[in-house]
Amino acid sequence: MKKALGLTLGVMTAIGGFVDIGNIVTSGITGARYGMTLAWAVVLGTIAMAVFGEMAGRVAAVAHRPVYHVVRERLGVRASMLNASSSVVLNVLTVAAEIGGTALVLQLATGVPYLLWVPLVAAAAWLVVWRMPFQRMERVLGLLGLSMLVFVVALFWLPTDWAALWDQTIHPAIPAEQAAPTWWFYAISLIGACLVPYQVIFFSSGGREEHWSIKDLREMRLNTFLGFPFGGLLSLALMAVAVPVLRPLGIQVNHVGQAALPVAVAFGGIGLAIALFSFLVATFAAAAESTLSTGYAVAQYFGWSWGKARPPVGAARFQFVCLATVVAAAGTVLTTIDPITITIVSVVLGAAAIPLTYFPVLVVANDRRYLGEHVNGVVTNTLGTVLLVVMVVVALVTVPLLLLTRAGQ
Amino acid sequence: MTDWAHHRFTANDLLLDRQLVDSRGMMAGRIDDLELSDPEPDPAGGGSAARAPVLTALLCGPIAYGPRLGGRLGTWWAATGRRLRGDGDGYPCRIPLSLVARVDRMQVRLTSPRELLPSYRLRAWVADKVIAPLPGSGR
Repeated sequence: MKKALGLTLGVMTAIGGFVDIGNIVTSGITGARYGMTLAWAVVLGTIAMAVFGEMAGRVAAVAHRPVYHVVRERLGVRASMLNASSSVVLNVLTVAAEIGGTALVLQLATGVPYLLWVPLVAAAAWLVVWRMPFQRMERVLGLLGLSMLVFVVALFWLPTDWAALWDQTIHPAIPAEQAAPTWWFYAISLIGACLVPYQVIFFSSGGREEHWSIKDLREMRLNTFLGFPFGGLLSLALMAVAVPVLRPLGIQVNHVGQAALPVAVAFGGIGLAIALFSFLVATFAAAAESTLSTGYAVAQYFGWSWGKARPPVGAARFQFVCLATVVAAAGTVLTTIDPITITIVSVVLGAAAIPLTYFPVLVVANDRRYLGEHVNGVVTNTLGTVLLVVMVVVALVTVPLLLLTRAGQ
Repeated sequence: MTDWAHHRFTANDLLLDRQLVDSRGMMAGRIDDLELSDPEPDPAGGGSAARAPVLTALLCGPIAYGPRLGGRLGTWWAATGRRLRGDGDGYPCRIPLSLVARVDRMQVRLTSPRELLPSYRLRAWVADKVIAPLPGSGR
């Protein structure tokens, strides 16, 4: 019974923890603008996240070390430096986007300008990183994040044309009135939002924080193969609710508030409150998790002690990196650059860096010296390789599309 | 005496970039370079053709790391390390082989707690000056 509860909790946290500001913004924008014609990008991103998440989790459980810890031994000092430093840059951008997103939600809820909320949100995220025990952090924030299910409920409540949604989903085509490069740009941003680098760093380091071993492989697989896809479904629900509400009115999403609007239309003030609460939890949790991931990446590269299991003074440089990340991210938001722009840039640059982040996972998951009999099988390798080839194509076209469409204008 | 898990291996295989773990299982950095020296140094200071140098220490820290990174960044990294050393000594942090308990595929295990290692200074500085003064740091 207790075991079953633990498994359920794990899956539920994985669902609640999947969506962050990147998913909220990109799903909202694309749903309002393109209907479900880009749903395939979320599906692709979620499959890739599940496949690579499982590899990373397996390395953590079998070799007893997070995957990026192995990367330096496997790929050498310079290639892994490139990997670690790109993770750091992207993570800082992600943390900035999440802090900005949380602050925007608080502005909507209170009317107090978001810039005033930024220092408070940053301080709160840092406190979670600094003192909150790992499992409590993951469970509390993950379970509260399930409040996002209100979007699924709203979808059933609203006059949703299910046949049309399904038709757009399985027959993706660029809507006639829209430009092709922008459509592709948003496809990439959706893939990037599902595959942000911090998630795989966080997932595999978290496995070590929770002392996974071979006997936890089943639980880990449930998290990746059930939790992540259901998280992806939440992302699709965010996209789908925009179709019956925002799309007919031609409303473009350029603020997190508009992404919550469909729920307000369905359930009024209460619905809006729940939707905003779910955004608040999702972005705040991601702010803390991506901050931790920066600390994990740097500390593991240099072989410093890391993690929340010991008091901060026992992992001083790890905590120092986390603190510096929060400060740099808050500073980025305080420059008054629009948090939504930061979000788009972070997910798109993240998409460009996907091969850099995920190739080492594939390499390590094939290393018999670390994994013994638990190395990738033929199916996983085929799937992983195909996905990686797709990601390389994505990475190559990302920056040209970013410039060509002026970030999806 | 160091316990070696393998009889024959390359530096890349078991030493370079490997995780150093102290006697209590705490992370203590990574190996960046190796020190080889004459097992029976000639008092006169000259080398000897008869004796091959043997492994005497594992080197770590920024001064050892910089040259491996290479380029301008590597030079700068090592220079910063020398500046932080403060004692004018440009030699990397040494972990003499006598402190190494075991070398295997997964880690390099040391016989002493990391607080006693020469590579501990920067860590100790960050812990004492930056982290410890903050509330709830655990000290």
